[in-house]
Formats: sequence, C-alpha cells, structure tokens
Amino acid sequence: MNKKLGVYICHCGGNISDYVDVEQVKKAIESEEGVFLAKTTMFACSDSSQKEMVEDIKKNELDGIVVASCSPKLHLLTFRAVAERANINKYNYVHANIREQSSWAHSDDKTGATEKAVFLVKAAISKARYAESLEPIKIKSKKAVAVIGGGVAGMRAAIELSDMGCPVTLIEREPFVGGRVSQFDILFTTYETGKDLVTRLYNNLLARNNISVYTGAEVIENSGSIGDFKLTIKITPRYIMDRCNEGRLQKAIDACPVEVPDPFNFNITNRKAIYHNFPSEYPHKPVIDIENCTRCGECEKICESVDFSQKEEIIDINVGSVLMATGFDPYTPKDGEFGFNQINNVVTLPQFKRILALSNEPLIYNTRAIKHIAYIYCVGSRQVEGENKYCSRYCCTSVIHASIMAKKKFGNIFNYHFNRGIRTYGKQEVLYNESLKSGDVYLQSYEDDPPVVTQQGNKIVVTVNDILTGKKQMAVEADLVVLVTGMVPRADNSVGSLFKLPKGRDNFFNEIHMKLRPVETVIDGITISGACQGPKNILESSNSALSAATKSFSYVSKGELELEPIVAEIDKNQCTWCGACAEACPFDAIKKIKDGDKEIAMVNNSVCKGCGMCLPVCPTDVINLIAYSNREIESMIDALAGS
Amino acid sequence: MPGKIINNSFDALVIGGGIAGGEAALNIANNGFKVLIIEKDLSIGGKMILLSKVFPTLDCSACITTPKVSEISRHPGITIFTGSEVKNIAKIKENSFEAEVVRNPRYVNVDDCTGCQLCEEACPVLVPDQYQYNLVGRKAAFIPHSIASPRAAAIDIENCTLCGACEKVCPAKCIDFTQETETYHLKIKTVVLATGFNLFDPLKIPRYGFGQFKNVITSMQMERQLAPTRPFSTILRPGDGKVPDKIAYVLCTGSRDATIGNPICSQICCMYSIKQAQLLMGALPMADVTIYYINIRSFGKGFEEFYDQAKGMGVNFIKGKIGKISETDKGNLILRYEDINENIVKETEHDMVVLSVGVLPNPENSSFFPNEQLKLDPFNFVYQTDCLASPALTSIHGVFVAGTASGPMDIPDSILSAGAASSEAISYLTQKK
Ligand SMILES: Cc1cc2nc3c(=O)[nH]c(=O)nc-3n(C[C@H](O)[C@H](O)[C@H](O)COP(=O)(O)OP(=O)(O)OC[C@H]3O[C@@H](n4cnc5c(N)ncnc54)[C@H](O)[C@@H]3O)c2cc1C
Ligand SMILES: Cc1cc2nc3c(=O)[nH]c(=O)nc-3n(C[C@H](O)[C@H](O)[C@H](O)COP(=O)(O)OP(=O)(O)OC[C@H]3O[C@@H](n4cnc5c(N)ncnc54)[C@H](O)[C@@H]3O)c2cc1C
Ligand code: SF4
Repeated sequence: MNKKLGVYICHCGGNISDYVDVEQVKKAIESEEGVFLAKTTMFACSDSSQKEMVEDIKKNELDGIVVASCSPKLHLLTFRAVAERANINKYNYVHANIREQSSWAHSDDKTGATEKAVFLVKAAISKARYAESLEPIKIKSKKAVAVIGGGVAGMRAAIELSDMGCPVTLIEREPFVGGRVSQFDILFTTYETGKDLVTRLYNNLLARNNISVYTGAEVIENSGSIGDFKLTIKITPRYIMDRCNEGRLQKAIDACPVEVPDPFNFNITNRKAIYHNFPSEYPHKPVIDIENCTRCGECEKICESVDFSQKEEIIDINVGSVLMATGFDPYTPKDGEFGFNQINNVVTLPQFKRILALSNEPLIYNTRAIKHIAYIYCVGSRQVEGENKYCSRYCCTSVIHASIMAKKKFGNIFNYHFNRGIRTYGKQEVLYNESLKSGDVYLQSYEDDPPVVTQQGNKIVVTVNDILTGKKQMAVEADLVVLVTGMVPRADNSVGSLFKLPKGRDNFFNEIHMKLRPVETVIDGITISGACQGPKNILESSNSALSAATKSFSYVSKGELELEPIVAEIDKNQCTWCGACAEACPFDAIKKIKDGDKEIAMVNNSVCKGCGMCLPVCPTDVINLIAYSNREIESMIDALAGS
Repeated sequence: MPGKIINNSFDALVIGGGIAGGEAALNIANNGFKVLIIEKDLSIGGKMILLSKVFPTLDCSACITTPKVSEISRHPGITIFTGSEVKNIAKIKENSFEAEVVRNPRYVNVDDCTGCQLCEEACPVLVPDQYQYNLVGRKAAFIPHSIASPRAAAIDIENCTLCGACEKVCPAKCIDFTQETETYHLKIKTVVLATGFNLFDPLKIPRYGFGQFKNVITSMQMERQLAPTRPFSTILRPGDGKVPDKIAYVLCTGSRDATIGNPICSQICCMYSIKQAQLLMGALPMADVTIYYINIRSFGKGFEEFYDQAKGMGVNFIKGKIGKISETDKGNLILRYEDINENIVKETEHDMVVLSVGVLPNPENSSFFPNEQLKLDPFNFVYQTDCLASPALTSIHGVFVAGTASGPMDIPDSILSAGAASSEAISYLTQKK
C-alpha cells in the first residue's frame, strides 16, 4: 500500500527556525514519495497546530504523519494523541528531532543545520512509509504499593496511598521507623519536635488497616515488573517477644555488658547491645543488635521477654508499583577535614543537634564548658575538589535554627558563622534575620579560601580571610566547632541496583524530567520521593512523597495497564539459545525457557524497553525490534545516505 | 451584575490555571473526578507560558508548557473558564461547597474563532500589551499571545471604541458584542487554591529609576525579550532600540528588604537572573553581563552547577547591593554600589539594567471565603497549617493550596506542591464519597 503522509516542520518559535531554514526543509521534502502535504508551523505542540493536524488527517484521509520538531522525549505522547484523535493508529506517526539534533547542535552553521534537518526528515518519512499499526500490550496491575523506607517521606506516602484506597506494605530497614527526623529535636520552621512529627505519622499508620509495616526488613530480591513486582523481603527478628514487661526489660538492658557507639546519637554516646531508641521509638519496643551481641545471656536471665530463638523470616509480596523513600546520609568529614577526628570538640551538625537535645544547662561537651561556637558551613557540599558539587539546601537554615536554639536553651552563647553566602531561601530568611538581630557574627569566604581550624595548646582557633570586611584575617577562639555537613546518598543504596534505578550526576536517584515527570523513574512502575532523590527539607520531602503516592496509585488504581508495544521479539523457531542477548540486555528482560525439548530465549514484554541492545549481538539475527524492523531502519539509512 | 445565571456541579474547583493549578487539575481529573478551573486571565498557563527557557535545564518553557496546557484543555474531565472570577465560596458542610463564579464576556465566540488575526489588523486602537509586559502595544481586538490557550481573539472592551471594524473583517463571524456576563452557581466538593504570585512593582523603589529611566527594565520584561514569542527579533533597550552591550542585573529588587515591607527571599530571582545572563551571552556574544548580588542562592538540584556554568561562560558576579541608579544623557545608567570584595563604594556605567523583581503574595486569596477564616501567614501568603507533614492543608478543611500561592517557589517545587495538593484532594474526595 502506498501511504498518504502529512509532514509538519516546526519553527519552535525560533528555537529551530533561527538556524534551520524550515521553509527550505519543507521544499526539499515535499515531493518525497508518499508525502501528500507538508507544512511549517510556529509551535507544532500548540493547541491550534494540533487541531489543524487532526483536521488535515481527517479531511485528506492521511495514513500517517511525520512531525519534525524537538526531542521526542518531550512530545512523543502529544503527537501520538493527535494521531489517535484523528482516528489513525498512533504508531503511524513518526518523529524527527531537528532541534536537539540539528538547530541546537549546529547553531554555528545554518546551511549545514538545514541540510542535516532535510536528511532527518527524509529518514523519518521513509520510516513512516513502513510503519505498522500496533496495539498496546495490556497487563494486569496488582492494586497494592510497596513503600521502601519508613522515614517522613515513606510514612507520609503510605498514609496517603491508604487514604486513596490502596493497600500498602511499608518496608523499613532499621528496627524503628522515622528515619532521620526521629533523631532531631526541635525542627525548623514549625518548632515541632522530630518526636512529635514521627509520633503523629506512626499513629496514623497504625490507624489504617490496609497498611502493613515491617521493620528490620529489607528487600533482597525483585523479579517482576510494573503491575506485578514480586519482592522478597528478609525480616530480621528483634529477639524480644511481642508482649514484654517494661520494668524487667530496662533491668536487662542495664545488665548487658556490651557497649557500642550509638548511631542514633551519631556516635557521641554509647548504647548497649540490647537497646531502646528513645525518645522517638516506634514500634515502642527494644531490640537486640545481634551483630554486637556476645550471646552472654545476661539479659535473658533477667527478662523472660528476651527470645534468642526468634528466626529470620523471608516473605514474598506482590505489588503493582514500588515507591522509593530511602533517604540520605549526613556527610561524614574525612579525618583531619577542618580538624575532624583530630582536634577535640570538632563535631558535625547532626551531632550538634543531638548534643543540644541531650544536654541540660550548662552546655558542656567533652568536659569543656561551651560558650563560643564556630560553625563551618558547606562541609561536604559545594566542594571545589571533592565530588559533591551541589548545595545541600537544608543546612544553612538548619544550622542557623540550631544556633538560635542553642542560645535560647543555654543563654550566654556566642555564635560565629563561617559561611559561603547564606542560603536561607524563601520564608526561611526570617531565621537568618532573627539570628543577625540576636548578635550572631557572620564571616564569609569563597570556596577557594576556606576557614582553617587549628589547635593551639588548649585552644581551638578558627581563622578566615573575611570578605565582608575586605578580606581581613579574622580569628575566633571556639569551645566547639560545628561542621555543617551536607546530605549525601545512602552509603548502602544497593536496593537501587536491585531495581536498576538510574542515578544523577550527584549520585542520588534520578527522576525522568525535573519539571514534567519529577517523581517517575525510567524504570516503569517505580517512583522516588524524599531525600533519596536529592537534598530536601521535610516540607519538600512531604510534597514529593504525596506526588509520588498519586503517581504510584495511578499505576495500580485501575487494575490494568497499557504498555508500549515497542519490544524485541525472538523468532522461537530459529533461536538456538546462546545467551548473548540476555547478557546484553540492560534490563534483565530476557530469560532462558524450555520450548519443547529446545532451549530458547524469551522476552518479558513488560520489562523490555525496546532499547535494541540485544539485536546486534544475536549471531543468527533472529531478533526483531517491533517498530524498528530491519526494513524500517534500512530505509532510513538509505534516506540519510541520500540514495 | 445582571446576565445569565447557570447552575452546575463539579467535584473539584481549582482557582488559577498556572502550572500549579493545571498540574493539580490533571492529577485530580486523571482519577476520574470532574474538575473546573477558574482562570482570571484570557489564557491558562500562568507566568510559565510566558517565560523564555527555564533553569537549570534550559528547556524551552513554551515547549514544556504548551503540551501540558493542551492536555489540560483537551481533558474530558476538565472544564476551563478563562476570563472568570470567583465571587465567593461558602462551605456548607464537609465535602460540600457552594461557589458563585462570574464569567466575563470575551465578545468572541471561542469555538468559532480560528485565530486568523484579521481583527487585530483591522482594529484601530493601540494600547500597551500586558502579555509583553508593556514593551510593545497591542490592539483592542487581540489574541493574547501566539501560544495562548485558548488561542482565540478577545475584545478589550474598556479600550474598544465600538467602531465595528473587527466585526466587518472577521471571516468566521465570531465577534459578538451582545455577549453578557454569566453568573454560575456551582456545587463543588473540594477547592484547590492555585492563584500564584504577584511580581514586585519596582516603582516602589524610586532610587532605581524604573519608570523614569527607559533602559531600566524588569526581569519579566527581559524574560519576554528572550522568549520564543518575543516582541522584537533581538534584545533591544527600550529607550532607543539599541542592542545593549553592557547589561547589569540588580538582584533582590523588592526582596530581603524590610524597608519596602518584604523581608523574605523570593527564592527564584538568583536562578532566573543567572539563566537570563546565560541566554544573553548566547544571544549577544559580544555583550558584557554583570550580576550584582547579596548572596547567590543556587540551592536546588543542579543549581550550583548551573551557577558555575555561568561563571565559566564569563558572566561577571559582583557582591554588592546597588544603592542608587542614575542616568547619563546617552540613556546609559550609572550604578552606585559598595563592592564588598574591595570594600569600597564604586560607580559603574551600563547601558541597560534589569531589576530582578521578587515574588509577592496574591491578595485576592482572602476574598474568596467571606464566611470562613482562610488564614494567611505573616507575609500574606496562604498559611500552611501542617507545613511539615501535609504542606497543602489550609485553615479550611477541604481547601488545599498549590504552588506559589503559599510562598515563593520555582517550577519544580510548584509542580511537587501541586502534586501534594491534588493528592490530598483525591483522598478527601475518596474518603467522603
Ligand atoms: C542535621 C539535620 C537537621 C535537619 N533538620 C531539619 C529541620 O529542622 N526541618 C526540616 O524540614 N528538615 C530538616 N532536616 C532534613 C530532614 O532530615 C529530611 O528532609 C528528611 O529526613 C527526609 O526524609 P526521608 O524520609 O526522605 O529520608 P530519611 O529520613 O533518611 O528516611 C529514610 C528511611 O529509609 C530507610 N531506608 C534506607 N534504606 C533502606 C532500604 N534499603 N530498605 C528499607 N528502608 C531503608 C532508613 O532507615 C530511613 O528510616 C535536617 C537534616 C539534618 C541532616
Ligand atoms: C522573571 C521570572 C523568571 C522565571 N524563570 C523561572 C525558571 O527559569 N525556572 C523556574 O523553575 N521558575 C522560574 N520562574 C518561577 C515560575 O514563574 C513560578 O515558579 C511559577 O510560575 C509558579 O506557578 P503558579 O502556578 O504557582 O503561579 P502563576 O504562574 O502565577 O499562575 C497563577 C495563575 O492563577 C491565575 N489567578 C490569579 N488570581 C486569580 C483569581 N483570583 N482567580 C482566578 N485565577 C487567578 C493567574 O492569572 C495565573 O494564571 C520565573 C519567574 C519569574 C518572575
Ligand atoms: S545550604 Fe548553605 S551550608 Fe548547605 S551547602 Fe548550601 S550554602 Fe552550604
């Protein structure tokens, strides 16, 4: 059949037409075989252009269209919808990217850019001639979502999903939920405590009967994909029975001879191998840290609730979508970085928050009375030499807030802020103003001339060339130096690799498009939220958690999903299983199966992304990529080669 | 106001059709609910549809807004009233509100208008074009801008002389001077406030000379000059049409300044100025661009790298707050400031100045609920009653806030905030069903 095609060449309001002569492109392709009409348009994606395309298709009974505009990443769905509204199969629309691939790439060579655009459009026309109508793959989608990570983001998302009527499994790796927030006392900007917030969220979780919460739980395996994730979860026991006697347990804890640094307090205190996580401990039950426990049995002797016979449990769950909320780690300074681990009384901001929460008046740390506190900003963020180029965004506000709290709680405190330009964006500026009014001293330097911390006898001295006073060298004698550490991705983020989640330049999990699809990932069915995506404060984490909840819900709410039919298909009569394709597939979509007495490769349609990596490695050339068949690609190559 | 009275009902009422309102409406409608968007303006898309490219990815703003806008306007579950206002909303009980909405006449039959622009050509009246932020003029019969949605003509009745020229030339016969105001009595179940922000008016800082010196413009005017739907074919200074070659940015104009009543940081100006500076370096390779700042706040994902990129391209960054701007007889501008690095007061001449104006609250929010207390924060943005765990909640149960109506934020944050508001609205509708 000879197809009747319509071709639309977009100016993109100058983004394209400033460098590519779109009228010339139109002339050059007008008489290509199959082209029934060719038009240029200011914005192909605008409502009026779309309307025009629909009318053109209907009026002229076109069989297909070619749109030459920006990257299909932006508008593939837009123009597919145009085709559908005009009652033609949406796979009869073919895209040519003449913006990213032509006008923007060759803005220094207008003739060349135009010429290249002509070839790209001709290639798209050739493909459109052979394009086949396709139907989406329909799959069932299990109406349930797994939320991985029980911090603020994970808990908030779970509650919302439940309220939308969706069953949720919340999987928290630690023995307690709450994440980082449970470790902080008074929070900016509401002055609620971390404990209050976590308590509120936890009670909300418990009040809903369609949420299952697993603590001490980790996803160790995933087989399956959107609509039908099959997760295997390993649950570590607490070694404490469900109903336990508080009083006796406390005695058992006292009796435990093991002492290890307490990560809840960022290692500034020790805890026992059997321990509580006060004050924000949910579920409200101690736990035995089996890795550090020596099995001496002292606790068991005192309290009958201790139960070393509890076994690790493995459970399998089946969900339609996975919502990631695994959070962040605070940056750990290197030994010697601003005196860390070398000079006494150099601590990180998270440690300082714990010191403030745990201390009673007067403020004493390491036997030293604390009066003068120096804060060194941007430690582990905005690095000139290190890897972390980004700003961690929460820390300016957080440290100013903490320094105000220190003054309020302990009085007689003098704060010195060694910053690189304060970033209390938005309403958070109010805290900065409050701090300035209270007489805090701000000293500023650029990234290439950071402050220096030295020990001089018994004194800790911080010096800086302060740009606010014409680079005068200033020295402050401090009793405590607080390193304002940024956020980094979780040290153990292996759960990401389990799902093959992509990471950004900053090594946090990455979204598809910051503005258009901010909580979706390229792995279908998996959304991301909270600080695992990049530094965020609580408000921002909650906003993204709620957005991700809505998105995850949309994958499962209807019980059915339509997937892209552009997948690899293997000719099972000719396949002789060599495994090369399975090895080449970056998404694990190909598995070996038995077909009669023969072994062959099989593609899982809901995992395959149609990337085509398997095609060139097949020694017998029996793999076909639907919508990118040899015939289509060869015709495109011919067009590009000008033959 | 007399006119037609129409009764109707919807699940959700979204006030404001900017990116936040649009995103919220889509999310809610995609879950099977009936949504009505009330937009005051003649087009949906808010400020975003008028921007050039957006930081930090430099996506063309029109290119990412138009498909959203067209998805919204085509959605079977979404009804849009442009040129409309909410008069009042009364909460009857949970999940039940009554709203009175006024739809002002456009004097054009939108469905019939083909956007041919013949009326524009025929109209003899010329007034400043608000969509180009007064850089150029428009007619009294006009299409808001080339990517407006709906892309249909409207008659600006206040400036129209009723000469009838447009009516005569219109091939679609869609101009209709008999259109009347329509009043709608609506039953709705939940409300999303997405009324956006106002820009700081630099006339309030006379020492910067805006309105007096022609070559002092606002960042929004520069945004228009850089946009694909720009008024001129290149960057021009308005005073004499000369292509500028020494451009200055004055950050924090109307922000972080208690003396003009706005102590908070507007959160977007550093970044949009850095973005514009990069675009200017591309458009005018010989030009010199200087950004005068107090602090550069490049705090978001990819922002610090974007700032570094600008430094690498040769944008000058000078730490110092501008005290005063004066004009030379050639129309150039002399900026007086304290150079913090050198610790001296300096004066530098530029041929064009861009004031990076800040974000102010939209005062209209307080007028919607005469019988209810919609609490505002100390800066008059909509107060978020549970700003840590449920940032979209307001002081009225069942009313949610999305985007810059609750405070300054950029597009990515506005979209996430809209995601939160729609999610709360969906849960509210689901549970009260
Ligand atoms: C010192 C400091 C002070 C702060 N103060 C404030 C403040 O006052 N106000 C404010 O708004 N913000 C503050 N923040 C920011 C706040 O901590 C974050 O916004 C918030 O913790 C992000 O929540 P989240 O749920 O994304 O991540 P997290 O709190 O990190 O929670 C993630 C959870 O996921 C779990 N997890 C991780 N990996 C896995 C896995 N593989 N399987 C299962 N579970 C897993 C973790 O155990 C954890 O419970 C502060 C941050 C710091 C460092
Ligand atoms: C010069 C400049 C450049 C910028 N550049 C960028 C950038 O590069 N990247 C980025 O991320 N962000 C940028 N921004 C910020 C961006 O514009 C905002 O984040 C975004 O527009 C906020 O969207 P919104 O929907 O909340 O508000 P708005 O865009 O203000 O939309 C609000 C809508 O509500 C309507 N409305 C108002 N009141 C009523 C009422 N009473 N009844 C009915 N409707 C009403 C308005 O007409 C409008 O359509 C820039 C801002 C400026 C000023
Ligand atoms: S928020 Fe402040 S302290 Fe934290 S990295 Fe950014 S500039 Fe540095």
